[in-house]
Amino acid sequence: MPTRAPKVLVNEVSVTFESHGRSVVALDRISLQAHAGEFLCIVGPSGSGKSTLLRVLAGLLPQSAGDVRIEVDRPGTPLTAMVFQEHALLPWRTVRDNVTFGLENRGVRRAEREARAREMLAMVGLTRFAQHYPHQLSGGMKQRVGIARALANDPEVLLMDEPLAALDAQTRAIMQEELLRIWATLGKTVVYVTHSLEEALLLGDRIVLLTAHPGRVCQVYPVNLGRPRGLEVRGSPVYGALLEKIWSRLREEVVRAMAEDRGGEHA
Amino acid sequence: MSLAVPAVLLVLWEMCSRHAIVSPRYFPPPTTVGWVLVDGFAAGDLGTQSLVTLTRLGFAFAAAAVPGVLLGLLMGMARPVRDAVEPYIAFIFPVPKITLLPFLLIILGVGEPAFVLTGATSAFFQIVISTLGGVQTMDPRLLEVGRNYGARGARLFWKVILPAALPAIFTGLRLGLGLALVALVAVEFIAAKSGLGHLVYRHWQMLSTPEMYAAFAIVGALGLLLTRGLRAVQARVLTWQEEVGRL
Amino acid sequence: MRALGRWLGEQHWIAVGSPIVLFIAWEWASATDLLREAFFPRPSTIVIHLRHLAADGTLWDHAAMTLIRIGWAFALAAVLGVGIGLAMGLWRQLREGLDPVFAVIYPIPSILFLPLVSFLVPPGEIALVMTTAVTSFFLIAFTTTHGVRQIDRLVVEAAVHYGARGRRLFATVLLPGALPFIFTGLRLGLGFALIVVVAVEIVSTSRGLGALLWLSWQILKIEDMYATFFVIALLGAVLSYGLAALRTRLLPWVQDVTARSG
Repeated sequence: MPTRAPKVLVNEVSVTFESHGRSVVALDRISLQAHAGEFLCIVGPSGSGKSTLLRVLAGLLPQSAGDVRIEVDRPGTPLTAMVFQEHALLPWRTVRDNVTFGLENRGVRRAEREARAREMLAMVGLTRFAQHYPHQLSGGMKQRVGIARALANDPEVLLMDEPLAALDAQTRAIMQEELLRIWATLGKTVVYVTHSLEEALLLGDRIVLLTAHPGRVCQVYPVNLGRPRGLEVRGSPVYGALLEKIWSRLREEVVRAMAEDRGGEHA
Repeated sequence: MSLAVPAVLLVLWEMCSRHAIVSPRYFPPPTTVGWVLVDGFAAGDLGTQSLVTLTRLGFAFAAAAVPGVLLGLLMGMARPVRDAVEPYIAFIFPVPKITLLPFLLIILGVGEPAFVLTGATSAFFQIVISTLGGVQTMDPRLLEVGRNYGARGARLFWKVILPAALPAIFTGLRLGLGLALVALVAVEFIAAKSGLGHLVYRHWQMLSTPEMYAAFAIVGALGLLLTRGLRAVQARVLTWQEEVGRL
Repeated sequence: MRALGRWLGEQHWIAVGSPIVLFIAWEWASATDLLREAFFPRPSTIVIHLRHLAADGTLWDHAAMTLIRIGWAFALAAVLGVGIGLAMGLWRQLREGLDPVFAVIYPIPSILFLPLVSFLVPPGEIALVMTTAVTSFFLIAFTTTHGVRQIDRLVVEAAVHYGARGRRLFATVLLPGALPFIFTGLRLGLGFALIVVVAVEIVSTSRGLGALLWLSWQILKIEDMYATFFVIALLGAVLSYGLAALRTRLLPWVQDVTARSG
């Protein structure tokens, strides 16, 4: 067990939204941590505030209560870099200029920017498309650019908001293996939000299960599936058992959330 | 729509005019214009002149809408027709329709037909282009579904093609109406002896500015009413359309 | 040559052939008086008159006048329109304040502003240019504002996350994001400037293509009328479609939305 401070510490974080005069509690006293170099997956039904939590970590959204701490190992590099679900690339910039966007904003010199871009594009396998525009790429390729952009910034923590959700099943499977390969190479701390339990089990070291309405930490599960891991792990009995166990718990939450939605309709 | 800013501007205008900060001859106070407006309708010819403009608009729109929609539909569904007609449409569309006025004045003489037709051509091209666009950009899968469920020929047209193109057609009609009004008012300003556009011109020449602004205001109100009104109708009638455009 | 043949083969021959057939038919109908030659002079005669107008300098004189006015009016409308449009797109209060004012003024036919403008500035070129600029200004402002507002919120969020703030955010995200719409607004605004300038020239001046057209009408020189009309139409086509052709060069990242089916 590591004795240093965790890389990411979320302490009693709550987020409340004001909407049409009513308060909606999106996150209720969330506490969790991610260790250095860990791949932490956050899973939960819709409405569990997974994306909200990620945005708080990214500093895009202020929390209403609680605090977030990220250990700085390399001062001068950004704390976080996020890979968005709908890639969120700038359509008017080439692939290469999208990848260097964060570096530009931080005043990194051109030579270094270009070197970094080349490195990252090679890592995600898009070297040939450096001068293309986003609209010329497929969904999977666009997402890879998003990943390259995040990695180019060399953040302390990599945040990923359901990055593969918009892809078809085959592309998704390939991208999952890509992600594992890249992560193994770079050793970053990753906080990864997903709807898919299968994906979380495939990728993660630990899984945090959130409830919905409001989002709370329900349970944290360690994933004892060993590394390196590939798609074939889905056939192993350990995987099957874990899937069964977490899913039955998750299912309760999903059903409960759906019932509340229905109840809300009659309110 | 917040009326605060226009209201403040009107008050400002009123005060500046009354205190001669701006020349009251060229910029009479809004209250004066208001009285003249009311008076114009009650005792004067503002009402009849408005009716003249509206009547011309009605005829112009009818003359443009029917052939316009028909031609647009035809062009959308028959490729040879589109290829034959498109160069003319493309060539004439960017031409100021007011330039057609002198030709029509010669051919049809100085009178209502020339005025109305000039207004009609303004609307006509817009309606054709919008209708054509509506047919061309309809989801081709709708056609497949229609055919798959047994709709052919006339039925396919009435049940699938026309409804699918209807939002674009409606938008075209709406824009066309606005364009026709603009063109007609310009024609009245330049060449006619009646109508709101002519009123603005006449009172401008005579420097009877309150009357000029009154006519001006009616034109503005008319334009606003027609565009906003039709937009509301469009939203109501075509309830399945997501969002009706801004302009 | 082969490329031309192929292009013609793709049914474009109808598009090219149709006007040619029309002109031939027109020439014939006019010569045989099927169409009254007084109303529809033969295209060959029109061409001769066009040549004369060009030769003695009249045409260039008037055309230049119109173009200069359009140039100034468009520059005025573009600078003010984009500037205010951007401001309205970025600051909600400004937009909500100006929106009702704009909405009332925009539908008014441009030519009606001539009297107003004549009260504010000395009569002459300035009044003409300003009247011409009015509707274009509103058009450009509207489309610019819309261009800013329609930028995907997620893209802005991502840009902010990656460190773009204030001026950088504006230059790298908001401006490029709005650019396709700004461009469309400028294109439409230019087309409108032509429409208004011609109408204004008819009413209030003796130089310019609109004035030439009206003058020709008044002295019933119908061939000159057709010739002038043709020049105006050419101008309209160049202004409208010229900018459109530049679009792919200036905005390489924008996909062409118009899909032609069937």
